[in-house]
Amino acid sequence: MEEKILLNILHEAQDKHGYLSEEVLKKISKKHQIPISRLYGIITFHTMFRVKKQGKHILELCGSPSCLLNGAREIERFIEKELNVEIGETTKDKKFSVYKTSCIGCCDGAPAMLIDGKPYVNLTIKRIKEILKELKNASTKRN
Amino acid sequence: MQVLRETNLQGLALAKKLGKKGTLELLAKRGLVGRGGASFPTHKKWERALSVKTNERFLICNADEGEPGTFKDKFLIKNNSETLIEGILIAAFVLDAKRCFIYLRAEYDSLRLELEKIIKKVLKKSKMKVSIEIVRGAGAYVCGEETAIIQSIMGRRGQPMEKPPYPTIKGLWGKPTVLNNVTTLTCVPQALLYEDWNPNYRLFSISGEVEHPGVYEWELGVKMSTILGTVKPKGKMKAMSFGCFGGIMPVYKSNRVSPALICDKNCHHGAYSLIFVGEKKNIVDVNLSMAKFYTYESCGKCTPCREGTIRLVELLKKIKSGQATNKDLKLLKELANHIQETSLCGLGASCGNHILTGMKNFKKDYKGFIKKK
Ligand code: SF4
Ligand code: FES
Repeated sequence: MEEKILLNILHEAQDKHGYLSEEVLKKISKKHQIPISRLYGIITFHTMFRVKKQGKHILELCGSPSCLLNGAREIERFIEKELNVEIGETTKDKKFSVYKTSCIGCCDGAPAMLIDGKPYVNLTIKRIKEILKELKNASTKRN
Repeated sequence: MQVLRETNLQGLALAKKLGKKGTLELLAKRGLVGRGGASFPTHKKWERALSVKTNERFLICNADEGEPGTFKDKFLIKNNSETLIEGILIAAFVLDAKRCFIYLRAEYDSLRLELEKIIKKVLKKSKMKVSIEIVRGAGAYVCGEETAIIQSIMGRRGQPMEKPPYPTIKGLWGKPTVLNNVTTLTCVPQALLYEDWNPNYRLFSISGEVEHPGVYEWELGVKMSTILGTVKPKGKMKAMSFGCFGGIMPVYKSNRVSPALICDKNCHHGAYSLIFVGEKKNIVDVNLSMAKFYTYESCGKCTPCREGTIRLVELLKKIKSGQATNKDLKLLKELANHIQETSLCGLGASCGNHILTGMKNFKKDYKGFIKKK
């Protein structure tokens, strides 16, 4: 029997539930016969697994050199101010979680960020305003 | 671009016609070496894995490029993934590998569904009985290291292991395992099929303060003036950095970009990522941002790398604050050297390059912050 890849199992669970709660991990642990401590060991080793409930959208701002040289810091400050959060936190209305990340391979579109895993490039303050507005509107419509 | 040529499974057909030995010979003749950084001859890597008697071998395509400033593999996954999959199938044929993996970095997850479709399509056309699974990385740079990738696929923390044993002898689940990166595998069918295939072309990822950042293909030894003429710097350039590993140096138009220029024999030029820095920037800032990258990405296994990268950031911050003395500069240099000498994997072994070259080549920037007694 071919062993199923643990990283993929964890990702699929996170895709489904939004984050890896203790409950979800207990199920995985039982089903695949992997001690829960080992699961936490893996999860906390990686930056893209979350063990807490997240905002509706996850923003990951690139903080690596090509983006910094092209104004990433201003973008970061603007987002923090606009959403009233600090990096690593979730907004009070639970709409956005904001993180900083190492290079996301979009250096030719610096400054860049990922929103829910999708790259957004050549960011300017104007563009961010539009993007945030779109995301906010879309989520109110859906709710 | 040579690397965008399509091969439509003709490379695979040729490999099957030539047989394993013939394919290895032709790859050797064409001079294909790994494009991940180490420039190891591809046929030799495959031969090593073949030298082990076993009932199972594995192939891993490393799509976990993550060095800041590098995005060439992403470019290939987007623009020539059919040829990449064909390369994987040729490797699988030569190695008798039944199970192949593509370790795709989490930051490229948006390419995954499309890639899955291409895998299905090419597999169907090839009629080969091989599986190609995508393993989804989860944001740990160090997992790009070959022993770490193996740990990671086996469901452990992706921490580098001591070598030997090399993965080609003892890799995934103890079986011989070949790791090739996206660019290398894309080159395989092209190198086999096209007589005029040039082994000296490299993909360059260009970014920083230029008008036309992007992925370009040039021959090794390309003149800096050619590069500058193409990518159009925004104003006067102060420096260029070879990714984060290769070090940072002034931009000389007459330079030719080849391994020798970058850092002699100990060089980690591998990915040919050039980050251009404009004249208004201070190199201490650039070094600080790179130092933070290492702190963030150190896997924590070796003390010098885990603790030392944090101290490097602290020292750089101290320098920037204007509180540092010449003694701190000396300490910074010593520490950078020390970490490099005592770390297990490539990350630790190169984490000080940017600082050492920054201090050497841009003394003024550093001295400008030093407290005058
Ligand atoms: S050198 Fe750093 S990244 Fe590499 S194994 Fe040691 S701690 Fe981990
Ligand atoms: S440095 Fe920001 S995407 Fe590469």
